[in-house]
This record gives sequence, structure tokens and C-alpha cells, in this order.
Amino acid sequence: MATVQDSAVAIGGGAQARPAAQGRWASLWAKHGAGYMFLLPWLIGFFGLTLGPAIASFYLSFTSFDLIRSPEWVGTANYVRIATADPKFAAAMQVTFLYVVLSVPFKLTFALLVALLLDRGVKGLTFYRALFYLPSLLGGSVAIAVLWRQLFAGDGLINSLLAQFGIEGPSWISHPNYSIWTLVVLSVWQFGSPMIIFLAGLRQIPTDMYEAASLDGASKFRQFYKITLPLLTPVIFFNAVVQTIDAFKAFTPAFIISGGTGGPINSTLFYTLYLYQEAFGNFRMGYASALAWILVLIIGLFTAFSFLTSRYWVHYDD
Amino acid sequence: MTHRISRRTVLAGGAALLSYAAFAPRAFSQEARLRLLWWGSQTRADRTNKVSELFKKANPGVDINGEFLGWSDYWPRLATQVAGGNAPDVIQMDYRYIVEYARRGALAPLDSYLGSVLKVEDFDEVQIKGGSVDGKLYGISLGANSTAMMVNTVAFEEAGVDLPTPSTTWEELARMGVEITKAGKRKGYYGLSDGSGVEPLLENWLRQRGKALFTADGKIAYDANDGAEWFAMWQKMREDKACVPADIQALDQFNIETSPLSLGNAATSYAHSNQLVGYQAINKDKIVLKSHALISKDAKGGHYRKPSMFFSVSAKSSDPELGAKYVNFFVKDPEAAKILGVERGVPESASVREALAPSLDELGRAALDYVSGLGALAGDLPPPPPSGAGEAELALRSVAEQVAFGQLDAKQGGETLVNEVTQILSRG
Repeated sequence: MATVQDSAVAIGGGAQARPAAQGRWASLWAKHGAGYMFLLPWLIGFFGLTLGPAIASFYLSFTSFDLIRSPEWVGTANYVRIATADPKFAAAMQVTFLYVVLSVPFKLTFALLVALLLDRGVKGLTFYRALFYLPSLLGGSVAIAVLWRQLFAGDGLINSLLAQFGIEGPSWISHPNYSIWTLVVLSVWQFGSPMIIFLAGLRQIPTDMYEAASLDGASKFRQFYKITLPLLTPVIFFNAVVQTIDAFKAFTPAFIISGGTGGPINSTLFYTLYLYQEAFGNFRMGYASALAWILVLIIGLFTAFSFLTSRYWVHYDD
Repeated sequence: MTHRISRRTVLAGGAALLSYAAFAPRAFSQEARLRLLWWGSQTRADRTNKVSELFKKANPGVDINGEFLGWSDYWPRLATQVAGGNAPDVIQMDYRYIVEYARRGALAPLDSYLGSVLKVEDFDEVQIKGGSVDGKLYGISLGANSTAMMVNTVAFEEAGVDLPTPSTTWEELARMGVEITKAGKRKGYYGLSDGSGVEPLLENWLRQRGKALFTADGKIAYDANDGAEWFAMWQKMREDKACVPADIQALDQFNIETSPLSLGNAATSYAHSNQLVGYQAINKDKIVLKSHALISKDAKGGHYRKPSMFFSVSAKSSDPELGAKYVNFFVKDPEAAKILGVERGVPESASVREALAPSLDELGRAALDYVSGLGALAGDLPPPPPSGAGEAELALRSVAEQVAFGQLDAKQGGETLVNEVTQILSRG
């Protein structure tokens, strides 16, 4: 009987506790429920399509997986091979670093120049802003990569223009010495989004600083060097980090322009393209997953390095 | 606690419903459904879809959903679908990949349907064997083809050069190339495409020397000397301007559209006989098929008739018998054969070939005559390529480019090629 009573008490206690808990949940739900409901599509996407596959790929990176049969655990063999016995990994690394080192500074410089021009108060600013942003919207597309092939081929538009000056250009896009440059130009051409951010940054610099500098007799160049640039460093920093990550991840242009081969002679073998070839061309999803995690590591290191050095050159206005 | 239905609740519920709708599986239809996947051009797609319509008419209640991609996009797509357990029921398969897919258990063995659903008794024995892996049948050949040289007759004529013949040697072909380049009738035009990175062409040349690409047990079947001689032959042709320079050749993505012939840079290209239809569709000048050049006047040819492609049925198909039925319709129905022509190769069934012959157009006729007229130039079908053959093909292309752009000499090229291919094959 005692036990029955005990349990009755327990039930009773529970019955008392439950409305409180229910009330807490209900009030939490009433407060945040709608918000989470609105977030639901994103949450499903994030957990189902980003985080889940990322965790799966971490597991797969320690396996040999041919996409069809079940993965086989191989320990660190994939990582060991990447580090010691894969000449194509080295080639892809070299191409990717070259691309990052070339495309990011050129793109940012160009974007800053255009932003400075537009900041001087051009008539129809909104129009130009939209116009210059357009390539960024198109740039990642297959159509543009195909267009690029047409422009830089042996009998393409670029060579027709050069011919006017008596220069006989090679087929830029399919020559190992130049092909990477056509991809760099393609990247620089998409200067729109860093430009917009630069423009916003420039707008935030108080004009009285320039007025004071003018009164003190500082030249335009000195003003740029002493006022604009230092005050813009947070924006430059932001753009540099974002563009660097983007450049490491670039895939479409090289894929389309080289027809998926990364050629000629691996000169456009972006890291992501090599990863893709291994995964889907050569049925080595485990190895490709390991490659992907190496890329995550490299991008992470780069970003960490940027943040660590940032305090020496980025000036926050506070 | 009162529960008021506020505007916010309704909105939230609506959002949830919408997201559910977006992720909910589509309602299944009651009809039997077949999904097809193939690679190829628009021409091929039109013909395939017409046959599917015909099959639907003959089999009411069957719904067919066909999808096609270009060669290089096809394999990643197929691999992902198979990996995702979402493979199409009927899969177009290539000789290069059939071992890979069959051994991994992605394809359904078709032996049990032979004689009942699949009526391929009048197929060439060798071609049936071509679709077998480890003694089981995994693919039904959709037609026979052979490698061939596509030749732009107008460009040859303009330059006053006679067309190559079945007994033309590589030396003679190189001279033809030089003459066409020299004639300079077209801007930026050369006699030949650079075939040093084209694997079927290397294979043809190796077979004439009594060698092959791969042994039956999946090892490399030629040595560094063969490779060096091959690259040296092309190096000389590049120097003499018999063929296009390296940067022009590198535009070729090994499809019809980007070959130097189609881009208007050269008078020849190296492809497969069934592709004549596709080549002619995008080239204004008349294109003809010629067999590959010989290493010497008394050499035996290196050609062979091979199944140009197969239809396989997925191991995961919910209705493999229906898949097999579709495949049989595709290769045996006379009406279907008339629609398909020889675009996927010369039909394997003798009765279909007969039924087809009168209705063939000039191009189809030419492709058929080419394959059946190879005679002594054609030898035995080599064993199916081992796993890693796709990667080995890319390696050949890359090394050929390194030689063409002067990063390696011919001798180094031969050594590098053999090393890389050996390594790829041992890795599997």
C-alpha cells in the first residue's frame, strides 16, 4: 500500500510539477516559437544540407569509399597519401595559391579605385553602382565562363583586338603560361561586391576630417594616405578575408574553362576541381573528403592569421 | 491559458506548412515509371525521346522519364545518383566503365531475361560478350562502332590534296597535313589535329605494333619506348606544321563541338564512327570517315569493332524486368530502329540491320559501310579496360600536352606516361 501511496504522491507531485513545466514551455513557445518556425526552412537546410554532410565527410575522410560500396575504414591513410605521395595535390595547391595571391589584391585594388571614383559624387551614382555590380551577379555562372572561352581563344575577340596593333596573340585560355591569368581577369572583373562595401566605408569617413586636412594644406594624395586609407582598414580587412576565402573555394570558372580537366597541363587545376575529379571522376569519395578537410584547415589558418595580424594594421575608430 | 489565434500564429503555421510542402516527397503515381539517363547530343536526345514515346504507346500505363547530359558531366551525375540510392532504371553505359559499375554491384545481371524478355539471339556473339563482366551479362550493346578519322573533304580539295585511303601510312598522312597547312587556303588552318593525347588513336597505333593499352589482368601493356616513339612522331608533325600547335589543340575538350575540326582549325579529327552524324550536324563542309593511318605499308590495321555503348539496368530498379523490356524494344523494334538509325552505332541485330538498311540516309549509310567495310583492318575486341582507365586517359592527355608545350621531350614523355599509368592502375 505504501508503495501505491508513494507512487500516488509521486504522481501527484508530478501533476503539480507538470503545469509549471508546461507553462514554461508554453511561454517559451509563445515568445520564440514563431521565430523558430520562420527559421525552420533554414534550420532544416543547415542541419540537413550543411552540417550533416560536413560531419559525414569528416568520417568519410578516414575511409576508402567508391560511392557505391560501403565505406571501408582506412585510418589516416588518405591524409598520409596527401602529405607524402600525391604530386597532383602539390600541383593543385600551387595553382590555387597563385590564383589567390594574384586575384585578391588585384580585385581589391580595382574595387577600391572604382569606389573612390564613384565616391567623388558622380551623377547617376545608383545607375553606375548597379552597372558595376552586374558582373558579380553573372560572374559565377556557366554562361560567363563559356563567354570567357570565346573571348580568350586563339581566334577570340581579344586576339582580334590585338591584331589591330599587329600583335599575334596565343590562345590565352588554352596555353599553360596564360590560362591562369584569364581566370584572374575573370575574378577581377567581378569587383562589384567589394566595391559596394568600399563605397559604404568611404561614405562613413567624416568630411570634417578632410576639411581640417585641407585647411592644414594637406595634398589630396596625403589625405588619401593619412585619412582615407587608415579609416578604411576595417573594410579592407573584411573584404580581404571574404575574398580570400572565396578565391580558395573558386570552382566554376576553372571547371567550365578547362572542360573539367584542369588543363592544359594542370595549369587551371584549382584545388576544388581536383577534389571534384577525385570524388566523382575517379570514385574516391573518401580521399576527396580528406582533401576537403585539408582545404578547411588551410582556409582556417589563413583566416586566423589575418585576424592575428589585423591588430597591427587595422584601425578601429573608437 | 487561452489560446488566441493571432495573425502571428497563422503566419508561423503557414511558414511551417510551406517548408513541409517543399521537403515532402512527391506523391507517387500509380503508373509504372522508368527513368532513363544517357549522354549525348541533342540529336541523340530527340531520337531517344521518340523511341520512348513509341514504347509508351505499345505499353499503356508506363511513364518514361528521360534525362541526358554531355559525356563529361554524365559520369559525375551517374555516380552521385547511384551513391544516393537514386539510380535511373535504365543507364547508358560505356565499355570503359562497365567493369567498374558491374563489380561494385550497381548493375543488375540480365542473364535471367535472355530468351524471354531480351531477344538478342541474332546479336554478334563477340558484342554480347563485350557487355559481360565476370561471366554475367550487364549491358546490351546499342550498336557497334570503331574509331575513325573524321576528314573535312572540302579542305582537302581546296588544298589539292587527295583524301587518305585505307593504306595511307602515318608518314604519308603527315605529308598531307603539311601540304594542307602550306596551301594556306583558310586562316589559321592546319592539316591535322594533334592526336598525341587521344587514347583510342594511341591504342590503334599500339595494336599495329602488336601491343595494347591494357593487359587482360588490368596492367599496362606498352613500355616507355612505345610512348617515346609515339610522342616523337607527333613532335615532328608539330614542328613540320602538319598538325595544329599545342595551344590550339588544348582547346579540344574531346567532344564534337570543341574539336579542331569543328572549330575550323584543322581538316581532321579522331573520333568514333557513330559520331559522324553529330560531326556532320555542326559542320558545313562534307565530312567523311577514314580508317586510321598505318605504321607501315604492310602493317595490319589496329581497328576493332566495339560496342559503342550499352544500356544497363540498375541493380536498385524497382522493376528490372520493365527496364529489360525497354532495352529490348530499343534494340529490336523495327520502328525504333528507323528512328535511331546508326547514331549510337550500327545495330547488332542482323534482322534490325536488314530492316534499317533501306531507310538509312547517306550519313547513316556511310557510318554503316565504314564499320562493316573495315575488313582486315579490324582485329579482336580487347578485354574491357580496368578500373582507373578513365584516369589513365586523362594522364595521357596531360603528358601529351607537356610534350606539346615543350615541358618534356618525347623520351621523358614516354617514361612519365608509363610511370603515371602504372601507378594509377596499381591504385585501382
